[in-house]
Amino acid sequence: MSPLTAIPSNLQAYGIMPRAGADGADVSRLPGIQSATELGESSGVSATPPTGESFATMLGHMVADVNTKQNIAGEAVGALQSGQGVPLHQAVIAMEEASVSFQLMVEVRNKLLEAYQEVMRMQI
Amino acid sequence: MIQILSGIQNTTAALDAERTRLDVISENIANAQTTRGPDGKPYQRRIVAFETALQQALGSHQGAQTTGPQVARISKDTRAPIQVYEPEHQDADARGMVAMPNINIHEEMADMIAASRAFEANLAVVKNSRAMAMQTLAIGKR
Repeated sequence: MSPLTAIPSNLQAYGIMPRAGADGADVSRLPGIQSATELGESSGVSATPPTGESFATMLGHMVADVNTKQNIAGEAVGALQSGQGVPLHQAVIAMEEASVSFQLMVEVRNKLLEAYQEVMRMQI
Repeated sequence: MIQILSGIQNTTAALDAERTRLDVISENIANAQTTRGPDGKPYQRRIVAFETALQQALGSHQGAQTTGPQVARISKDTRAPIQVYEPEHQDADARGMVAMPNINIHEEMADMIAASRAFEANLAVVKNSRAMAMQTLAIGKR
């Protein structure tokens, strides 16, 4: 069994991963706020089975997403430099978006590695 | 796709619109002395009007629509051209009057300040949005 299969349910229990159907525009329905109040009576940490895609698939999607954003930013900069009428701010915003999502990916990777090393250090 | 900088769609639309406004103002200032256009008449001042447009935020949850500005139309200012006495001018009429464009340079400068401040405000939103994302990512750091 992969050591990371339980992580999605944990993430969901702590409200890190948005639940299906949650509307980002409605603050009262934000998953983080909702589950913070529910946390006291948390019975779902071990009980909820991982729903939907596996964590590995999710991570794969995320890496693909970051790659797409990088490509979009690259295309925007290329179009700007070859004078195809792309405004400067669009290229810069695309670059910023790519950079921030890359940072997010790096953070997720760091956390994963940290968790793995923590487990490996465990006394048997 | 994950929406890492939320609300950035509207800001980008606003930046686009303000950019167009600045372009039109620059056109007005550049043509402040143009006495003959393709139609033989002096240049007429252009005015930009914005409208809101529904935008489907990319990759957001279903039904989450936001409104951002876009350029509705670029219309012409119908004020009469300014008559200047300049008998030696090529486009002067029989009385020596030349019809100059109906552009007041001070008005254009004031418009330009407004447009560039609006642009700046939207850039500040982008900057702040990025700073918020980076600060949020710094939660995980020790």
